[in-house]
Amino acid sequence: MIRHLKTALLRLKRSPYQALSAISIMTMSLFLAGSFFLLAAGSEAILSYFETRPQINAYFPQDMTPTPEQIDAIISRLKETKKTDVIKYVSKEEALKVYKSLNSNDPLLLEAVTASLLPASIEVTAQSPQDLKDLAKFLKLEESIEEVRYAEDVVGALSRWIYSVRLVGAVLVGVHILITFTVILLVVGIKVANRRDEIQLFQLVGATPAYISAPFIFEGIIYGVVGGFIAWGISYLIILYSMGFLVSFLTGVIALPPSIVFMLELLAGLLGLGSLVGGMGGAVAVHRFLKQ
Amino acid sequence: MVTTLGLTKKFGDIRALSDVTLTISEGEFVFLTGPSGSGKTTFLRLILRDLKSDAGTLKVGGQDVSQISQSKLPQYRRQIGAVYQDFKLLADRNIRENVALPLEVRGVHPDKYTSPVKVAMELVGLGSKAQMFPAQLSGGELQRVSLARAIVGKPKLLLADEPTGNLDPKTARSIVKLLREIHSQLKTTVIMATHNADIVNASVQRVITLEEGKVIKDSPKGKYD
Repeated sequence: MIRHLKTALLRLKRSPYQALSAISIMTMSLFLAGSFFLLAAGSEAILSYFETRPQINAYFPQDMTPTPEQIDAIISRLKETKKTDVIKYVSKEEALKVYKSLNSNDPLLLEAVTASLLPASIEVTAQSPQDLKDLAKFLKLEESIEEVRYAEDVVGALSRWIYSVRLVGAVLVGVHILITFTVILLVVGIKVANRRDEIQLFQLVGATPAYISAPFIFEGIIYGVVGGFIAWGISYLIILYSMGFLVSFLTGVIALPPSIVFMLELLAGLLGLGSLVGGMGGAVAVHRFLKQ
Repeated sequence: MVTTLGLTKKFGDIRALSDVTLTISEGEFVFLTGPSGSGKTTFLRLILRDLKSDAGTLKVGGQDVSQISQSKLPQYRRQIGAVYQDFKLLADRNIRENVALPLEVRGVHPDKYTSPVKVAMELVGLGSKAQMFPAQLSGGELQRVSLARAIVGKPKLLLADEPTGNLDPKTARSIVKLLREIHSQLKTTVIMATHNADIVNASVQRVITLEEGKVIKDSPKGKYD
């Protein structure tokens, strides 16, 4: 195996421009694959954030403190709809705590607001985004509820967006992988043709097809591994460079910067994909020749 | 060692070998002669299964060559050593690495082939040139390397296709002498294709003469006609 690897490295050294073109296209495709993966993972995290947020807030009048009987009655009627997932009563005091935590950096706002100024509310998470409208209507009909606010199908819209990102990503990455495979096939194919006499000699002295193919497959894998490392490095640099911008938008929604474990998983994925595409390209190129 | 019965090979409409029937026994040294295009190389390529016959049978060591599957072909070829007119050496490998090639492709560890490679190289008189590259050697030396490579795996059968074709008469004689020594020392069956009359006539050996793909003469102590 070491011998085949050495042979592959030697051949790469002898045709640096072919190697450069193969590594460039591999890097481009793997960078694209990595970018779409990061985009999909980020979107997934955002979706998960919104899924765990209350989707409907039903506010009592500001000057009213609902009795436990009133609260229980509304909650039990809500439960009867069988469309709710989580229902939570938020008292005026709890609302103040939330307000304080959200405005902890602004003492002026904190001083001006007391619990009596904030309304008590009921937070509802629906089982399905489709039920949001019905539940909001239901709560509006409640006598003691003054105002109902809900993010109209944010989760649904996000889900559709993620699906589109995945679909477009899969198609684009698929096309690029196919192009990369073809380029590797071509580059290794040229080398196989250049070494026709050598391969024929190997066959005549009793080399097996696996022995003959191994250096060419290794060559393809090297293109994949080098391309994978470069694509990962570029992705990581872009993420780190964009941290300021990303943090201003996504603080509290997703963990930034991504953990090193996550980035290492991405690296493993890119190396795996690159090796697979490169190795297969090399294998097919030499197999086509041996079949002749 | 080699038995053929009605062996025929065609390239399009041209019959390169036509109904060849002969037997070469184990340990024999045979000259295969005839003019260019008479079918000598085709015969050797059929033995190596570098080509497939169109009709007839060819058995090597009792094994029907046409029945050997692709997966068993490398194993079969490892029993045969071959020497070519153009040497077929790898320019980017040194002499030692070229000689070691048949053992390397068998998966023999480099530590284990040091000794057989050294023996083969000393047998052909190139023990001191192990680290040199093909470009640094003369034609005669290159053919010696080719011979060392052919015998390093201790083959049962040695095929030599015009091994003296690119050499001057003196060097050619030394290569044939070397082939004889290998034949007598290793007891290998040798089939040497040549159209060099001087070489054939200088020895008393079995001579099989081909013409237009047919065996026209097979004499135990023949001369080149």
